[in-house]
Amino acid sequence: MGGYGDVQMIDDNGIRVDGRTAGDIRPVEIRAGVIPVADGSAEVIWGTNHVIAAVYGPMEAHPRKIQKQDRAVLDVRYNMAPFSTTDRMRPGFNRRSREISKVTAEALETVVLTELYPRSKIRVEIEVLTAEAGTRCAGITAASVALADAGIPMTDMVISVASGKINGIVVCDLNKEEDNYGEADLPMGICANSGDLVFLQMDGDLSPEEFQQAWDYNMESIGPVHELMIEALEKANGGES
Amino acid sequence: MAAPPVPELLRAHLTELAKNDERLDGRGRFEGREVQIETGVLPRAEGSARVVMGDTIVLAGVKFQIMTPYPDRPTSGGFMTSAEVRPVSGVHWEAGPPSPAAIELGRVVDRGIRESGCLDMSDLCILPGEKAWQVILDVFALSDDGNLFDAFATAAMAALRTAIIPGERFDVGEDRPLPVSKKPMMCSYHRVGGRFVYDAVRREEIGGAERIHITLGDDDHVHSLQKGLKGAFTADEFAEIMDHARQRCAELRNMIE
Repeated sequence: MGGYGDVQMIDDNGIRVDGRTAGDIRPVEIRAGVIPVADGSAEVIWGTNHVIAAVYGPMEAHPRKIQKQDRAVLDVRYNMAPFSTTDRMRPGFNRRSREISKVTAEALETVVLTELYPRSKIRVEIEVLTAEAGTRCAGITAASVALADAGIPMTDMVISVASGKINGIVVCDLNKEEDNYGEADLPMGICANSGDLVFLQMDGDLSPEEFQQAWDYNMESIGPVHELMIEALEKANGGES
Repeated sequence: MAAPPVPELLRAHLTELAKNDERLDGRGRFEGREVQIETGVLPRAEGSARVVMGDTIVLAGVKFQIMTPYPDRPTSGGFMTSAEVRPVSGVHWEAGPPSPAAIELGRVVDRGIRESGCLDMSDLCILPGEKAWQVILDVFALSDDGNLFDAFATAAMAALRTAIIPGERFDVGEDRPLPVSKKPMMCSYHRVGGRFVYDAVRREEIGGAERIHITLGDDDHVHSLQKGLKGAFTADEFAEIMDHARQRCAELRNMIE
C-alpha cells in the first residue's frame, strides 16, 4: 500500500478525484459472446479496465494425471497483455498472475457444477487488455459471464468488487490514481443470489469499523452489476432465459 | 493425444470443393474477407489497432522504452516485435512459452516492417551512444479463425502509423508522432484442395498444406517472404500469387492512414 497521506484525494464534500462519492463504483459495461471461436466469452469494461474472458470446453483433460475421477477441473489463466500497463508488461507468467489464477479458479469451482463433467477440463482464459486497478475483480466477473455464455451449469454467478481506504476514508472500487495512495484494499467475490463469498483477499490497514464499511460497500455494489451480466447474456443469446 | 481423423475428412471435403473452384465459405480463390481496422483502441499503448477479418480478431499495441544503443550503431534506436498467441484465441493454442508457430508469426511480421525501412532508426536516437528509443510492437490474437499473419501485419502497420513517442513521460523532450515512412503490407496464401487460396480460414489451414507469405512495400518492393509447412510449389504458382499480392497489398495500403 502506498500510504502517502498528504495528498488530498477526496474533497470536503466527499467527492473523489473522478467525481464519485465514497460508495460509488466506476461505470461498468459488459458484453457476452465477443470471441467468435470460443465456446463462451465476455468482455468487461470497468472504468478504464478492459478485460476479456474466454471459455473452452468441457473437453478431454490431458495429460491424464490432471483428471479428477468425479468432476471437471477448471484450468484458469489470468494474464496481463504486454500493452495493458503504462510500462510494458513483459510477457509470461509471474508470481502475481499465478496466484490470481489460482484463487480465481477456486472461486469459480465453487459455483460451477463440475461434478457433471468427470475427467474433463474447462479452460477459462482471462486476458487484461487495459489495467487500471481492480483487474482481478473484473477478471472474475468476466469469467462468470463467459462460463454462463458457454452454457456451463452453475449454481450462481460471481461478482467481484473491492473497497479500500484513501486519506483515512473508506471508499468503494478504487481507481488507479486512488490505488496509488491507497491504505487498504479488500476485494471480494460474492454470489449474486445467495450472497455467499467465494473469493476474499485483503491487504493494508482497516479498523473494525472501516472493515465493516468496506464490506458493506462491496455487498451493496453487486446488484447493479448482476443486472448488467444478465442483460449481456440475454443480448448475446437471443433474449430468452 | 493422437491426431483426430477429422483433418483427413476435411481435406477430402476441401479437395471436392476445389474441383468446382469453391471454398468453405463461398468465397472465390483470391477473395479476402472484409477487413475492419480501428485505431486507438488500447489506452495504455502509445499506438494501437484492432483488426477484424471475419471471425479472426487481433490487436496490436506499440510501447516505447529507453535503451542503450548497440556499440556498433551508437546513433540507432531499436525495434522489436513480439507475437502473443495466447490460449484465449482458440482451443488449438496451448498455454506455455511461445510455440514455434507463434515465434514464426512474430518474426515474419517483424521482417516485413524492419526490412522495408519504414522506421528510421537514426531518428530514434536521443543521445548518441547513450540513449535511444526502442519501439516494441506487441501483436496479440483474440480470436483465431485463420490467417493471423495478415491480421497481425495489418494491425501492426495501423498501430505504428498512429504511435506517439512519449517524450514527456520519459522526460526526453516533447511527445511526437513516430515517423513511419512506408506501408509494407502482407498477403498470405495457403494450398487448399491442391491450389493456392488467399486469406484462408482456420479450417482451410487445418485441411491445407504449405503456405506462402509475401510482404510488399510501396511501389511493390518485396520486403519479406516466407514459405511455411510441408509442400512444394511451382514457379508458375508463385508468379500467380505474386500478381494477386501486388494488387491486394495496394488495396490494404489504402485502408491504412
